[in-house]
Amino acid sequence: MASRRQVLGSAAGLLAGATLGLPRTARAQQKRGGVLTAILNPEPPLLVLGLNQQAPTQLVAGKIYQGLLRYDFDLKPLPSLAKSWTVSPDGLTYTFTLQDGVKWHDGAPFTADDVVFSCTKFLPEVHPRARASFDRCESITAPNASTVVFKLKDVFEPFLYAFLPAGAPMMPKHIYDGTDYRANPKNATPIGTGPFKFKEWVRGSHITLVRNDDYWKPGRPFLDGVTYRVIPDAAARALAIETGQVDLAQGNDVEAFDVQRLAALPHVELHKRGYETVAPISWIEINHRTAPFGDKRFRQAMMHAIDRDFIVKNIFFGLGRPASGPINTATRFHDAKAVKRYPYDLKKAEALLEEMGLKPGAGGIRARIKMMVLPYGEVWVRQAEYVKQALRRVGIDVTLESNDAGGWVKRIGDWDYETSFDFVSQFMDPAMGVARTYISSNIRKGVPFTNTMGYVNKRVDELFEQAPKQTDAAKAQAMYSELQAILTEEVPVVWLTELEFPVLINRKFRNVNIDANGPNSEFDEAHLA
Amino acid sequence: MGGRLGFIAQRLVKAVFVILGIIVLNFLLIRLAPGDPALVLAGEAGAADPKFVDDLRREFGLDLPLWRQLLIYMQGILSFDLGFSYRQKQPILDLILARLPQTILLTGTALTFAIVVGVSLGAMAARHVGSWWDSAITTLALLVYAMPQFWLGLMLVLLFSVQLGWLPTFGMNTINSGFAGLEHALDVGRHLILPSLTLGLFFMAVYARLTRASMLEVADLDFVRTGRAKGLPEGRIQRRYILRNALLPVVTYAGLQAGYLVGGSILIETVFAWPGIGRLAFEAVLVRDYNLLLGIFIVASVLVIAFNLLTDILYTVVDPRIEMGT
Amino acid sequence: MDFLRRFARNKGAVVGAVVLACVVLLALAAPLIFPETPWEIVGPPFRKPGEMGFLLGTDTLGRDVAAGIAHGARVTLLLSLVSTAVALSIGVVLGAVAGYHGGWVDDVVMRFTEFFQTIPNFILLVVLVAIFTPSITSIVVAIGIVSWPPLARIVRGEFLTLRSREFVQAAHVLGQSSPRIIFGEILPNALSPVIVSASLMVATAVLLESALSFLGLGDPNLMSWGYMIGASRTVIRHAWWISCFPGVAIALTVLALNLVGEGLSDAMNPRLARKARA
Repeated sequence: MASRRQVLGSAAGLLAGATLGLPRTARAQQKRGGVLTAILNPEPPLLVLGLNQQAPTQLVAGKIYQGLLRYDFDLKPLPSLAKSWTVSPDGLTYTFTLQDGVKWHDGAPFTADDVVFSCTKFLPEVHPRARASFDRCESITAPNASTVVFKLKDVFEPFLYAFLPAGAPMMPKHIYDGTDYRANPKNATPIGTGPFKFKEWVRGSHITLVRNDDYWKPGRPFLDGVTYRVIPDAAARALAIETGQVDLAQGNDVEAFDVQRLAALPHVELHKRGYETVAPISWIEINHRTAPFGDKRFRQAMMHAIDRDFIVKNIFFGLGRPASGPINTATRFHDAKAVKRYPYDLKKAEALLEEMGLKPGAGGIRARIKMMVLPYGEVWVRQAEYVKQALRRVGIDVTLESNDAGGWVKRIGDWDYETSFDFVSQFMDPAMGVARTYISSNIRKGVPFTNTMGYVNKRVDELFEQAPKQTDAAKAQAMYSELQAILTEEVPVVWLTELEFPVLINRKFRNVNIDANGPNSEFDEAHLA
Repeated sequence: MGGRLGFIAQRLVKAVFVILGIIVLNFLLIRLAPGDPALVLAGEAGAADPKFVDDLRREFGLDLPLWRQLLIYMQGILSFDLGFSYRQKQPILDLILARLPQTILLTGTALTFAIVVGVSLGAMAARHVGSWWDSAITTLALLVYAMPQFWLGLMLVLLFSVQLGWLPTFGMNTINSGFAGLEHALDVGRHLILPSLTLGLFFMAVYARLTRASMLEVADLDFVRTGRAKGLPEGRIQRRYILRNALLPVVTYAGLQAGYLVGGSILIETVFAWPGIGRLAFEAVLVRDYNLLLGIFIVASVLVIAFNLLTDILYTVVDPRIEMGT
Repeated sequence: MDFLRRFARNKGAVVGAVVLACVVLLALAAPLIFPETPWEIVGPPFRKPGEMGFLLGTDTLGRDVAAGIAHGARVTLLLSLVSTAVALSIGVVLGAVAGYHGGWVDDVVMRFTEFFQTIPNFILLVVLVAIFTPSITSIVVAIGIVSWPPLARIVRGEFLTLRSREFVQAAHVLGQSSPRIIFGEILPNALSPVIVSASLMVATAVLLESALSFLGLGDPNLMSWGYMIGASRTVIRHAWWISCFPGVAIALTVLALNLVGEGLSDAMNPRLARKARA
């Protein structure tokens, strides 16, 4: 087992296969039974994972639908609906062999046709991220009922990272083919291959999932079911965990300042892993088009003037890590040695501003800038207040601007801002979630979450283009290391925090949080202690 | 008789015009709100390619010319469709209806408390003008009148929940408790005490002052003097003549206060995490969900107008003059 | 002098005036007592009152609560005064026009006023500030917009009675223009109820501004009392002092304004005052 997993993650990763990618602890005989009650907030719009990938949808639908692969905490691919896979030496052909005896929840068999339907028809029409992934394919074919072959137009090494349940959920062809996917009446009763089946949804109250007795993994799942309770209020959610009325809280369910208090309770266990698939970094986005932001010394001064440890400790109450550069430590190809460090140092910050000719004027002010606050809750307001004060100390006077979510995205997309707080998910590989905000070909006015800063560097463009084409991992790493060195020297954005999210689990359950998809994954190994 | 019906009909017509005005105001505000909901949703889906954004625009009718959007909006309102919350991905009316009963429970309890206690205190103060009772009640009213309600609520939480541990702090019921029937009702009742007290205290102060002032005024009027001269018992004079007449301004005022009551519920429900439309409004403010906020504005306005109408009708019952009128 | 004597006869009003004077003094002296901005992080977070020399403790980020109260007094008073001025200008103009002209003008203006009185004004306030994004201007204008109707009614009432008085008739005969009669002749005679309700409106404005800031709809660059309570609401179990003191400040200020308002009312209308106290 172990050696096979090493093959998977090894430099070439050309050939790989494994029957079950389970943590060692799951080997022993497990108790069957028990219902895990989890918090759901807010209520999802629907449970069809192919049609909607908002956080609450993923949480519930992740038990119903599956992808071809899973990923462990270190982002090594593990088998899920695909039993094994091979990559051709030229890096262009990916061949997946499917598990045997997989059935949809309505009893129909799951075959390679379903995979082809999902990846060529369903997902490209309704799922923007999957569309981007499968646009890279010249063909997707099923030579037989248990084999699927993806032929790429160009080498794209991170292609194996396109198969997360939320990235490419497998959808039943016999239900959706030839219908209007969004309007299919069966959307009310989702049909997947996962370990739990949809039973009931009482809006405003709860969603009940029950054990799928025909699940393809022998003897799994252990739990009788999973119940999601809708609890709209933060204080009530904390109380529910505290009293044991609810067994699982995750993400933003519990306010940051409450996490440590709850984690200290004897019946609660705190995990900080389980978000490696998204691994967001928060930063101060900077519009390079206007002075003084075009000058990298100004941005470097901002890096030096902000105490990132303070933010993690006092604003996120210990959840998160100070960010050092563009690639999250949890994302592939992070290189701690390559990044240029910007310790909290007011003298250096002032020296840089001085060098630019920004002398202190009345009230010690060197520059006045505007900064948009993120419209996603109080923690971002506190962070904005801190940054405003921190920059004031080196003579940068910040005027905070608050917008609604719509106004905020529009202004960012239209480049109608000076600076703004932001956070962006990385989706496991730099090519998926990092490149998009730094490459000049992605400077597209009116489209948010692109290179809205207007940052242009030819070498950066080149490296981001070439790195994913390397079949040799060492070469890819060298390119990404160079990228991290360049970007941390030029500071296109002021990185603040690698966001971490808590997973609070009642100790009466085991093996709940076992992969990079954390609370969103199947729970087919979870069991009572 | 015709007088009363005519009066009510006149009020009804007025109410319809006010509602129309509010609808127009609301549409204007929607148009003024900045931002493009399609972009927000695209952002949350983790990708924003132009095709996806266009699809979303079409889905929500944002690509149509303005006058068609207005038309659709008017039609929608008339068929009880308040639009769509792009943030919560649910029809706004559904969101509001799910929260409305809790708000009615809270404001209803608070108003009942405020009127019953406020009128009694005011009557007591008026009956014993100048006594220490009078000054105590007047001072209390002044104090409560000056405190911000949301702060008063927090302080009550500190005292009764955090310090004394007598009452629950947040929410409307104990989660996952499995309570049913009477147990459930008692559970909700315990959760209801602090928020309705906080919301009610302010209005209690208002009613106490109002009742006191208006009873003192009525006590000076001729028919009361006549009653006294005739030797009617004082208790009867107080109840039958003075209080009944003094209640008129109280009833009128209750109607006018309905708006403040709903407004106050935004603050109180926020403090106590009470799952009503006030709390919903706060959630909408937090994420700047304008559509939802405006939907709440319409529903709250209609509620207030309906309540005003009700007090107008009540007025005709209480006021002997309208009763006797042509 | 007579006015002052009558005002001083009301003990509550005198107490109110003294408290109000203290608050104004605090607001004026804030930059002297606390030269740093109240946003400055001056110590570790969550210090209790009295600890490490922080009279009222520190907040969630380590900012001085006392500095917040002092600087907050400036913000709260200033915003309330200016928004009252906005409400005054709308209310006085509309009320004067309606009362002076009477007839259909009066009808139209009064329907308009009624409309604004009927819609729930706090929700309208929240909607307006949220949509026009919170800033000093949007807050001040929005508070003005929701507070003018009662004033318009008072002014209209005064004008209705005053316009038939002899001195107005005389002005007509002399051929004075309508604006001149309205602002030069009638308004000065209708001032006392306007002043009384203005002082009460400042109190209401303080409460409205605090409530807005509490909901997170304050100007993000201004530290006001309501903001302090709103920002620390969620940590009230751990740190009562951050939300307690600003609330005391609000309550005292509003109480003082109300008392002064009543005192003014008594002093300006001795006849009414005696009746209310009967």
